[in-house]
Amino acid sequence: MKRLFNNKPVIAALVLPGILVMVFAMIIPIGFSVYYSLTNWAGIGAFKWVGFDNYVEILTSDSTFWRSLTNVAILIVVTVFLQNPVAFALAALLARIKPRWSRFFRTIYFIPAVLSVVVITALWTNIMNPSFGILNKFLSLFSTDPVTTSWLGKPATALGSVIWIIVWQGFGWALLFFYSGLMTVPAELEEAAKIDGAGWWMTYTRVILPYLFPIISAVVVIDVISSLKQMEIIFLSTGGGPGDLTQFTAVYLYQKAFVASQYGYGNGLSILFVIVAVGLTLVVQRLFRTEGEVA
Amino acid sequence: MSGPWISVKNTKKAFLGVFLAALAFFQLFPLLWVFNYSLQKTGDLFGPAFFTLPAVPQWNNYVRAFVDGKILQSSINSVIIVVSAVALTTVLAFCIAYACTRMSWKLRKWVLGFVSLGMVIPIHVTLLPNFIWFGLFGLIDTHLSLIIPYVAFQISFSTLVIAAQLQSVPLAMEESAFMDGASYRSILPRIIAPMVSPAIVTAMISTFLSDWNEFIMANTYLASDDKRTLPFSIIRFQGQYASDYAVQFACMVLVAVPALIIFFLFSKWIMAGVSAGAVKG
Amino acid sequence: MKKFVAALGVAVLLTAGVGAQTKVSLKVGDNLPDRTSGMGLVFDTINSEFKAANPGVDIAVESYPDQPWQEKVKIYVAAKQLPDINKFWSFPGMFMPLIDANLVQALDKPAFDKLGYMPGALESNVYGGKLYGLPLTADGWVIYYNKKLFKDAGVAVPKTYDDLIASVAKFKAKGIIPAVTDGKDAWPLVITWDALTEKVNGDFSRTQAAFDRKAKFTDPDFVKGATLLQGLVKSGFFAEDLMVSDYGASRNLFGQGKAAMYVMGTWEVGLGADKNFSADFLANVDAFKFPTVAGGKGKADDFMAWFGGNIFVNATGKNAATGVKYLEFLAKRWPALAWEKQAGYPAQKVTARPTDTALAKTLLAIGGEAKMTSDGPPSTDRSDAQFKDDIQKAAGELCALIITPEQFCAKIEAAAAKAFARK
Repeated sequence: MKRLFNNKPVIAALVLPGILVMVFAMIIPIGFSVYYSLTNWAGIGAFKWVGFDNYVEILTSDSTFWRSLTNVAILIVVTVFLQNPVAFALAALLARIKPRWSRFFRTIYFIPAVLSVVVITALWTNIMNPSFGILNKFLSLFSTDPVTTSWLGKPATALGSVIWIIVWQGFGWALLFFYSGLMTVPAELEEAAKIDGAGWWMTYTRVILPYLFPIISAVVVIDVISSLKQMEIIFLSTGGGPGDLTQFTAVYLYQKAFVASQYGYGNGLSILFVIVAVGLTLVVQRLFRTEGEVA
Repeated sequence: MSGPWISVKNTKKAFLGVFLAALAFFQLFPLLWVFNYSLQKTGDLFGPAFFTLPAVPQWNNYVRAFVDGKILQSSINSVIIVVSAVALTTVLAFCIAYACTRMSWKLRKWVLGFVSLGMVIPIHVTLLPNFIWFGLFGLIDTHLSLIIPYVAFQISFSTLVIAAQLQSVPLAMEESAFMDGASYRSILPRIIAPMVSPAIVTAMISTFLSDWNEFIMANTYLASDDKRTLPFSIIRFQGQYASDYAVQFACMVLVAVPALIIFFLFSKWIMAGVSAGAVKG
Repeated sequence: MKKFVAALGVAVLLTAGVGAQTKVSLKVGDNLPDRTSGMGLVFDTINSEFKAANPGVDIAVESYPDQPWQEKVKIYVAAKQLPDINKFWSFPGMFMPLIDANLVQALDKPAFDKLGYMPGALESNVYGGKLYGLPLTADGWVIYYNKKLFKDAGVAVPKTYDDLIASVAKFKAKGIIPAVTDGKDAWPLVITWDALTEKVNGDFSRTQAAFDRKAKFTDPDFVKGATLLQGLVKSGFFAEDLMVSDYGASRNLFGQGKAAMYVMGTWEVGLGADKNFSADFLANVDAFKFPTVAGGKGKADDFMAWFGGNIFVNATGKNAATGVKYLEFLAKRWPALAWEKQAGYPAQKVTARPTDTALAKTLLAIGGEAKMTSDGPPSTDRSDAQFKDDIQKAAGELCALIITPEQFCAKIEAAAAKAFARK
């Protein structure tokens, strides 16, 4: 039996094709990317070898890079500690109503996650428009002077507004994960808790949440990775501005490599981005030490 | 028997219903907004009127989207590329997930880690190198030039999702099949795959959604007009400075509709899929 | 045997004939995805006419929006697959790397001199004494306005900067946004700074002097220009959402009659004929010259104008000769067609037609009356891409009121020094 489960040719046949595709279309270009990051290439014309100069400059004198990482960290915190609990609570609510209604609502709640980010961003930019966005129109109802805050343009509110759009769009997936997780909780577990006299708060915190620990950890890992990769929404709404207050790492590396034609530098940012992402993911997984998970 | 507690229960239910319905409207709104804008005249967009119904619905925007946007031709390309990519991604992901979770060999944890960390690679820096690299094989401006990187970039998430659910299937499954003399070639598709079908469907939906809307690689690796995929139809209405926004919105609706249909059809399975997939992390 | 030889001879002749008829496939790349209106339509028309006049030639066009097209060009260059004909930009930062890489076909300037190009147009594409590209449009900085909104608010056509500021209160009293522009992309803000600076110092060559490190961007005239620009923002001249308003949104606001003025370039001559806007708007849209500054040396007829877009032939492609023929054909047909379709302000002289809109006539007049034009492109495009990124970011910060005009100029000065060191 052992022999069947460690049949080398079969393992190779199963694993190699996928690995080959990944190497072909992802690892090789990353190799190029490392090479370019050691030059000062502008993407066109001649270039010079500069060794680790790009990396030194990024790590020591590029304040935008560090701010972008800070913003990513803020997004992660908001996603994990605000979006997830709300999604969980809503999922718990939906788990208690009739299945047909539940499926109807869940499908509708997922729609923003299916629509293109271009649409989502255009919509929210419009809503947050200082002169005639309905957000300001709504807030003006409660104040004597008309509210004309430029949510995406004012330094104080820009980051919050961008994070709101991102979190709002990802809400559907979080809801989905948590709802499905709740569906797997055995009924006996809940009943046992009820028999023991536990109220709903106790039941959730002492029984259900611990049971769902693996799901929660998976969601957090996905949150970290998707927060790091956030690009389109920021690019289309604020472009990282005002100044670099809403700069996120994936947007910054794109702007440096392609818009500012600092291709070598941009690739350096990319490689650092990958290193940070891998490191962060490993840390999170270690924190949520679950069996049988990835590295 | 009527009494105060039943009416409390009913008000609670009514309140709940209102809350959920309000939330539903809030989530449904973007779709209505896009559709509404797609029926306006371009000059009327982005103005102070947030949601006014068009005086005269410009159905012509959709006609233009179809004709000038070459929706039909783009759809065919998109379907060919995306269906191939989804099928290939899912099969390869399933194979890797199986080998790394249910077979015993030294490197399995490393390989699984390597594959799943592929999720963090930024697409933009692979564009220029791949253009040259793919060009060496004559792949540029072909369907394969998109299918291959689409698979490469989506295989990570799919593998993760399927691997998670595979761990909850008892090993006894294979053992009894082997006893009956079956080989891997028949066990994997006939016995194991159906057991994790929810995870497989989840992976397929996620891959489909990502590939369907993808346009960065499509812009880079394709050149001929007749190879363009659906997201490019939106670009066809961009001028050097100003663009025909209303028609672009019509295109966006036409691009989103198939994705929504697929989602509605498969949502039943996604629900079950995500659950079993995520249980074991 | 004889019959066989004869048949062979005929076959050879026929194949030779066939060979001579093999189509030349001309590849064109540009930034005009929309082929149903504007410049895209003009190019399609010219392409059809060229194909009709040259039956052995086929034309395949590849179009993307600006930024993706620039990226694709770089990729094509790296892969040695640049299209035969490219619509591009004449700015040194962008064009010179291609010329230096021997990718651009030199053109015969005398042949084009007779085709009515405005003074300085062809020269903007001359590097190292040779003509490398053809300019397409003359880009000048003006202010478009809505006559009806001006009448409603009781505002006269502004002649000075102070007039602009004074109009703000009057427009706001009527609930009209005074002015809009594309603040999100920042380059219109930089161009406005350039224009204001010239109205202060009366000398277009100051900018290039600063780039050549013969002057400093922290000199008083540049700082005054920045102060004036920020003053426009502070006074409420621009809409509240200036920094998040992109090109299309600002243009539409103006077209919908919600804003009285639109600070933009002469390429928007088509505003007067854009069927997407109401007939009311079309009847009332016009333009005026960029205002002067009180106490400044710049005059009303100093016109901030340049020749940005161009079109060139790939010298390394196998269709270079056909490409040059195409350019010669284009140069002859372009001005009349572009003006007829109001697709832009051609770099070659056109005469006003009786059917021209009031706006078109005004713009032609502004161009005609210009006594002095800028000696090159706006500051954004006089250096490399990195500088452009730096200055646009700084302009964004200035207009978001995050930095002072002095800090703005200091940043530009530092960026220019770095750019100069990179040369």
